[in-house]
Amino acid sequence: MRGEVLVLENVVKVYKASGVETQALKGISLKIYRGDFIAIMGPSGSGKTTLLNIMGLLDKPTSGRVLIDGIEASRLSSSELARIRNYKIGFVFQFFNLVNRLTVLENIEMPLIPRGIPRPKRVEMATVALIKAAGDPSWLPKKPNQLSGGQQQRVAIARAIVGEPEILLADEPTGNIDTASSKIVVNTFKKLNEAGATIVVVTHNPEVAHCTQKIYIIRDGLLMNIINPDPSKCILSA
Amino acid sequence: MFLQFFLDILRMAIKVLTERRTRAALTIAGIALGPFALVMISSVVDGYGEYIVSQVEGLGQNTIVLFPSGDYKFTESDLNSIRSMPGVKRAEPFYSIQGQVKVGSENKVVFVYAIPVDLIFESMKGLEVEKGSIPSESEYLRALVGHKVAYSDDGGVVYDIGDVVTITYLKPGGGSSEVRRISVVVAGVMKEFGGAFILSPDTMVILPLEAGQKVLGLSSWSGIYILAESSDVVSDVVRELQSRYRGVADIISFQSIANIINSVIGAVNFISFAASLSAFAVAVAGVASTMITSVVERTREIGVLKALGFKDGEVLLMILAESIVMSIIGGLIGILLGVVGAQALASRGFVISISQQNTIVITAPPKVTSFNILRATALTLLVGVAGGLFPAYRAARIPPAVALRYE
Repeated sequence: MRGEVLVLENVVKVYKASGVETQALKGISLKIYRGDFIAIMGPSGSGKTTLLNIMGLLDKPTSGRVLIDGIEASRLSSSELARIRNYKIGFVFQFFNLVNRLTVLENIEMPLIPRGIPRPKRVEMATVALIKAAGDPSWLPKKPNQLSGGQQQRVAIARAIVGEPEILLADEPTGNIDTASSKIVVNTFKKLNEAGATIVVVTHNPEVAHCTQKIYIIRDGLLMNIINPDPSKCILSA
Repeated sequence: MFLQFFLDILRMAIKVLTERRTRAALTIAGIALGPFALVMISSVVDGYGEYIVSQVEGLGQNTIVLFPSGDYKFTESDLNSIRSMPGVKRAEPFYSIQGQVKVGSENKVVFVYAIPVDLIFESMKGLEVEKGSIPSESEYLRALVGHKVAYSDDGGVVYDIGDVVTITYLKPGGGSSEVRRISVVVAGVMKEFGGAFILSPDTMVILPLEAGQKVLGLSSWSGIYILAESSDVVSDVVRELQSRYRGVADIISFQSIANIINSVIGAVNFISFAASLSAFAVAVAGVASTMITSVVERTREIGVLKALGFKDGEVLLMILAESIVMSIIGGLIGILLGVVGAQALASRGFVISISQQNTIVITAPPKVTSFNILRATALTLLVGVAGGLFPAYRAARIPPAVALRYE
């Protein structure tokens, strides 16, 4: 029996903007087990990013429960949530969100800084993470804007996994890079998953979704369907 | 572990500042103005203050001088009763006039005192004889002259030992005054004393007490010169004299003058401190506006940091570190320039007009006190914290999901 990493129970999220209420999520329940590789698909505005933010403890649900490693998130203070994000969750964003002022090394080691890990140890961990993310250690002293988009996304993946999180959450990780780079990113996720990592990918791209173990379809804030992926439609099999 | 984190956020703060060099430099310049003004002005004021007070105290911290006001004349019985007052070490009468002496091509104003000469040396510790000797009490035609009387302004010797000095003065008489000339022989010349507050030993001609009647032709004492046992009892003696001679005599003690000057200096210092506070207040606004701009520009980055697991407090510290680093740099520059500026300002000198012809320029080195430096440092750090706290707090409070959406 594999353990549950993340459990969502009847999660509702309502946004209020200038008096108008918008229901982004209308009651979603799902369980993610250790070692899962899951895709979340859906049209724009279906609530995918909101769902991912709630799974990543970046946002709080209006109602419903979120449990990470059995801990109920709504009971935690913002500092405790920050610590859980730091130790248990890794994020990959569509637009990489790297800091161009800092070197690749400094970007990757960023999650280790609140942990107070000494510099030599951080350099070692960052190098290992970059290699795992199919990156090249020669990038470490460079600035992110000296790299291509695909290379930057690999740096962002290295940053997400450097702290050895329980779960990796990726929001449109291939949304802003070319096909060749997308293949590398997806291949990296697959390898990380085979090595035991739990991964959730929000994507528009069916070629990416079909590389996973399970696809959740979201529409209008509701979980509509769970479909089994067809490996032949995976971007890697082409 | 916390030290490691602290060093890391400091390093990152410096990176942010070097990325936005011009903005940081301008903000630092704004921060530097406060400590610059405060250190410069306070050092100069303290320097002059200390100089003036030391000059006045050099005239004799234990000295009290009693002048008759109006028609009152001091008598032997006044003298004897003052001598028997507790705290009084010595009391001697003196005669004095103001006259003119031709020194080279110049007419100089001199102050002629007829007084037991050793008393002058007992009260003014800094006074020394450069050459010649102190005339004995019976040598009433021999004088000890000040440095500016014996030498012309360019340093040439005008009157040497044994030379005759002619003093022109108005002898106060009933109704009309009479111009008189007296000649005395130089017995000794005093070393330059410097300063010129209240009375200047450099422009004095000192004669033995007997000369008052026999040479200057004065019939009554000009005043009584009192030496207290120690500087601690001066105020007690002054109080006792005030109660005895209220309305008939003026009492001057150099110590009380020094106290007055000290309190004036204190007031000037406070005013300059209050004025330089406005520079610090402006700097707070400057830092705040820079930091708000910087934080708004980096909203997304702050969102990323929070997603990666930085606590609100850690984000706050990171941003605060930027404004504190700026204030430390600004403070160092400001204090350094303030010390340099104080030297420049003090070297210009300070002109005191005694009369229309008689102006003196005093130059005192600035006094850079550790209190002054610490006060400027503390205020500058406060500028960094006060200017950075609100922007940092605001940034730290943005929910991560909102910050990440920020375009």
